[in-house]
Amino acid sequence: MRPWSLLLVLLVALPLVAGVATLPPHDAPDAPIHTQVGARYLERGVAETGMKNMVTAVLLNYRGFDTFIEVVVIFTALAAVLALPRGSAPLPRGSRPPPTGTGTIPEDASARRPREEEDPEVASDVPVSPVVRFVVRLLAPFMAMFALAMLFRGHITPGGGFQAAAVLAAVFIALGLVLGRNRAAQLVPVDWRPWLQGVAPLAFALVAWVGWRLTGAFLGYPIHDHTVQEAMGFVLEIAIAVGGGVILVRLFLEMEA
Amino acid sequence: MLLFGLDLDYVAVVVLFCVGLYMLVAKSNLLKKLLGLNVMETAVFAFIVTAGMVEGGDPPIMVAGTSAPYASPIPHAMVLTGIVVAVSVTAVALALIVQIHAHFGTIEIDELKELP
Repeated sequence: MRPWSLLLVLLVALPLVAGVATLPPHDAPDAPIHTQVGARYLERGVAETGMKNMVTAVLLNYRGFDTFIEVVVIFTALAAVLALPRGSAPLPRGSRPPPTGTGTIPEDASARRPREEEDPEVASDVPVSPVVRFVVRLLAPFMAMFALAMLFRGHITPGGGFQAAAVLAAVFIALGLVLGRNRAAQLVPVDWRPWLQGVAPLAFALVAWVGWRLTGAFLGYPIHDHTVQEAMGFVLEIAIAVGGGVILVRLFLEMEA
Repeated sequence: MLLFGLDLDYVAVVVLFCVGLYMLVAKSNLLKKLLGLNVMETAVFAFIVTAGMVEGGDPPIMVAGTSAPYASPIPHAMVLTGIVVAVSVTAVALALIVQIHAHFGTIEIDELKELP
């Protein structure tokens, strides 16, 4: 298997090297990537979108459809993960011979069961070192503040909704690891969870509808009204941060279960 | 920086991509295959972001303190999209691997093939 793998890798590598050899140097200012539509965005982006962060402008405005579908993709991934059967018993066929006789549960099935089922309160609490516990609890507020800073300062600094979502999810996952997932889970009300998981696509649909009412184009932005544009972008960024973060945490919890 | 007429940054990306591809095809453990896929994805992201940088460029944020030339904003936005897709793929694949382990007790392709 290994020689064939190496051969395949070489077969892929050669065209790739040949391909990058024809590219302009990666930091040349006259490369097509800097002279085509990118240059136009940089030139007119502030006037057209009212945003100062051009990455955000491309993400939410010029290529808003792309981002809309993107949040749908991650929502769909969560749906796919949730659709898989959870904690199902092993199939009768397996690496071991199937049990003979009565329909009792095979022994290895119970052996593979995590302990959580017996005592949900101590769920999945791997013993955590006191140092880790202390540091995570100490730093969690600052991590959360960092996420909020990336969200609310994202219009003038590198950052934005997706980055804030990743950091928010990291806060919740780290807290869940040291406090136990049940205590961390209490931070988000149960009734809200389905709505929070879908809030990014929903907000995009709402903003797209508002844009349609205002400009006649789906996800259109009123080009001359920067206040409305900023408000639309703001709603989207918050929805992406919250929705993305909640989806990431849920994905992690599903893996753990 | 050039190496035999090749842009060294791009060569590094190709090497990273090939490392990931090798992990994907040569390893029999499903988790390692998934890691290989993630390495390949990282290589692609690095390639796109590298292509968008410009000599002496500032981040494309139009505030006081930054000045032209700016790095191209499109690669950043595209990579953000790519990262989300990569996360989604990884999540679904991990969930499937968890299921496979729960059902068969192994995630080695060799052993899975030998199952009745």
